[in-house]
Amino acid sequence: MATANLDSVLEGRRSQPSQLIEVLQDIQDLYGYVSEDAMEQVAGGLGIPLMEVYRVACFYKAFSLQPRGKNVITVCTGTACHVRGSDLLIDQVRGQLQIEPGETTRDGLFTFECVNCLGACALGPIVVHNDAYNPHVTPGKLRKMIDKAEEEGKKEAAYGKTGKA
Amino acid sequence: MQQQVTLTIDGSTIRAARGTSVLEAALGYGICIPHLCHVPGLKDTGACRLCIVENVQNGRSRVTTSCTLTVQEGMVIRTNTENIKRLRRNIAELIVAEAPNSRAVQDMAVRCGVREVRYPFRRENCIQCGRCVRYCTEMWRANALGFIGRGKDRKVDFAFGNRRDICKKCQSCVIYCPMSVTPCGGPMKPGEEKLCGKCESVELMAENAYGACVHCELGKGFQCSRHAM
Repeated sequence: MATANLDSVLEGRRSQPSQLIEVLQDIQDLYGYVSEDAMEQVAGGLGIPLMEVYRVACFYKAFSLQPRGKNVITVCTGTACHVRGSDLLIDQVRGQLQIEPGETTRDGLFTFECVNCLGACALGPIVVHNDAYNPHVTPGKLRKMIDKAEEEGKKEAAYGKTGKA
Repeated sequence: MQQQVTLTIDGSTIRAARGTSVLEAALGYGICIPHLCHVPGLKDTGACRLCIVENVQNGRSRVTTSCTLTVQEGMVIRTNTENIKRLRRNIAELIVAEAPNSRAVQDMAVRCGVREVRYPFRRENCIQCGRCVRYCTEMWRANALGFIGRGKDRKVDFAFGNRRDICKKCQSCVIYCPMSVTPCGGPMKPGEEKLCGKCESVELMAENAYGACVHCELGKGFQCSRHAM
C-alpha cells in the first residue's frame, strides 16, 4: 500500500528533476518523514542520482529523515518567546518526556522540536502542537497539553487492540 | 572559429578564448595565481578562495575568485597587489589551521607567504575544497560522494552515510584530495602543529619571481594544474 501511495505522489512527475522538492514535500506530508526507501524510489522515478535526493533532503529542515511521533511539539525559541520564558517550556518538555530537542519518545507518541522563530512574536511564547498554534503558553498549560495527548494516545492504542480482537 | 578576447593581467596583454576563466588564461601564459580547488576539466566553484584577484573596472577594483571569473574584452586583472597578498595570506592561514596535516596545504600556505599561523589548529581532515565530489560527479558520473548537511556541519559523505556500493572504485577522490599528501615529518602530534619551514627556499624563489609560474616542486604537492597538463 505504501508503494501505491508513493506511486501516486510520483504520478505525472516522472523524469522531471525540477520536481524534486515538491515530491519530497508530498512524501513528508504523507508519511511524516522521508525514508531511505522512499528516497531511492524518488531517485529512480525522477531520474536523478540518489546522492542528489539525499543532499536536498538533508539540507532542508522541513524534511525529517527519522520517523516522527504522533504528536509533534514545537517550541519557539525566538527572541520574543525566549524573553517571555520559552526555556522554561523546553525544560518542562525535557522533564516530562525525558527527550532532548529533535528526539522522539520511545513509544512514538511525541516528537520535540525547537524552532528559531514562528513569526508570531506578539503571541509568545508559542508552542505548536500538530499544526495548532497555542499562544501565551505556560509550563502548566504545556503539561496539561502533553498529559491530554498522552491519554488520548493510550486510549487509541487500547482501542486499537480491542478493536482488532 | 573560437572567439578570442584580449585582457590585461598584471600589465601584460593576453589573448584568451572566450568562455575560459581568468585563472586558466593566466596559467596558460605562465602567470601563477595560487590555487587549490581548481582541477582542469572540472567546473570551478571558488571553494578555496585562494585564487582571488583584483578586477579593475572604471578605476575601482573588486576582489573576486579568478576561477569563477570568465574573461571579457578589455579586462584589467591584478594578481599580486599588496591588498591581494594580505587577503590571500589570511585565507591560506585559515586553511592551514583547518587542516594542518597535509603537505599540499602547508606548501600552498608557504607559497602564499604565510610564516606563522595565528589561528588555533582545528585538525579537521577536510578543507571542503570539493575536488573529490566534483571529480566523482562530473568526470566519473558516479555520484557516490556529495556534500551532506549545511553550515558548520557540512561534510563529504556517501548517500545515507553507507551507500558505498554506488562508488565506481576509481580512487580519484583519494588522488585528488589535498589531504592525501602527508607532511615530510609525518602526521603532526596534537598540540605540536607548526608550519613546515623546510620549503622556505622555494618561498624565496616564489617571492622574487612573483606572478611567474616557476613550475615549483610545490605544484606536485597540491596537484597544480600546470603539472597535470
